[in-house]
Amino acid sequence: MMTRVLGAVALVAVVAATFVALRVVPPDVNQGEAQRIMYPHVASAWLAYLSFGVTALAGIGWLWKRDLRFDAVALAGAEIGVIFTAFAIWGGMMWGQPVWGVMWQWEDPRLTTTALLLALYVGYLLLRRLTDEPERRATRAAIVGIVAAVDIPIVHFSVEWWRGLHQTATIGSPDRILNPAAPMAFVGTLLGMLGAFTLAWLYLMIRRYQLARAEAAREEAARRGHLLRARIIELTE
Amino acid sequence: MSALRRDAGIALAIARKDALSELRGRHATVSTLFFAAVVLLLFGFALGPDAERLADAAPGLLWLAVMFAGILAVNRLHLLETDDDALEQLALYPVSRRAIYAGKALGGLAVMLVLGIVVLGAVGILFAVDVAGAVVPLLVTIVLGAIGIAAVGTFYAGVTVRLRAREVMLPLLMLPVLAPLLLAAVKATAAAFAGDPFGELGAWLQLLVAFDVVMVVAGAATYGFLLEDG
Amino acid sequence: MTDVGFVIAAYGVILGGLGLYTLSLWRRLRAARDRDDEAR
Repeated sequence: MMTRVLGAVALVAVVAATFVALRVVPPDVNQGEAQRIMYPHVASAWLAYLSFGVTALAGIGWLWKRDLRFDAVALAGAEIGVIFTAFAIWGGMMWGQPVWGVMWQWEDPRLTTTALLLALYVGYLLLRRLTDEPERRATRAAIVGIVAAVDIPIVHFSVEWWRGLHQTATIGSPDRILNPAAPMAFVGTLLGMLGAFTLAWLYLMIRRYQLARAEAAREEAARRGHLLRARIIELTE
Repeated sequence: MSALRRDAGIALAIARKDALSELRGRHATVSTLFFAAVVLLLFGFALGPDAERLADAAPGLLWLAVMFAGILAVNRLHLLETDDDALEQLALYPVSRRAIYAGKALGGLAVMLVLGIVVLGAVGILFAVDVAGAVVPLLVTIVLGAIGIAAVGTFYAGVTVRLRAREVMLPLLMLPVLAPLLLAAVKATAAAFAGDPFGELGAWLQLLVAFDVVMVVAGAATYGFLLEDG
Repeated sequence: MTDVGFVIAAYGVILGGLGLYTLSLWRRLRAARDRDDEAR
């Protein structure tokens, strides 16, 4: 019930934030209308990182407590994280084309790090899908999730260095550098979008967790059913 | 102190066991080397024939060849275990998990070092870059890169040891994690070839060291969980 | 494509994607719970 309320609130928040981002706040002086893409793009990226942090921590929780509920949280974080990562990359590309003239820039550490993030966690999800036993799956996923999370700062740092030591022109032309017409409104809208998306994220995390638990219960029941049937066959032979 | 020495002894024993198996089945190592050579040849066809472009691309091609061949090498080191559930047997011994990880990683490291040096030589010949002039920094880079690939590769080979579709899952899991190593190693190699005009070689080597430390620690810390119920 | 086109493409996919994912979660949850009821 509470979750349903959360969902409704999140929906209203997202709609409101979108309205503000598209109609209320003025366009950027240099980047024009394209700058509006920043709001959902940054929010998505933030939530992607948050999700994967949750996955890594939940993995540690499983390794420590051996409670499969931690694994359900990890799965939710990874799946939702992949989705927000995809959104972030898409937003980045849609913003890049009008502002940079290209959809992709190797020198942008955020874009390249996010792409790698996608690769890491799609791998994580595939690994899960290929393992059938719940405990083994949880353990494998946990350690892969931890190593992936540990890798992210290194990736970000090295791409920044990569960009920094590259002795050529800066990204895009100087006249496309962010210049909000109303800085306070810009920040406010960004925070508002972030807040709205976070509420949506929370709602989705809860639902995905519930789904994971429901599926785990079914898996467990099926496993016990098999064992029971095998036992019965044994006894009646 | 003595526990550490005992662990080190066990690690070396495992590494030696793997190395001996490798040497006896020598053709496996040789095939991996030839695979790397073929990859380099194909790079030449793909990006050539302009010698200048190839020379520019040489650092990247070197490390790509090493990484792709490295995947095969690391994959095989763990296959040796699956054949008779040796890995599970190993897990039953009261031996430190870290030691087992270190042993397997050392075996992987030995193969990666050989691979790296051979590929370095081949790149020098095929893409006309001056290896001899910068041999010390190049070797340092090779060693640091080999450590990282061995650490990460051993870890993921352990994860995928009994996984379905492991031939594609091992590279799929390993390669994204290795991206910073690739970046740093290529930059360091390029700087070494050029005589380090901007003085950036040290910075890239430091990044490699940091990557290696983080990955070895992470791998050693989590490998134990794999052996228990991975 | 004009700048506005990119804005629409960005928001459309992101918000639409959120909506679709939410719907898919609802569907999967209902399926999982129905099967649970059946099993009992």
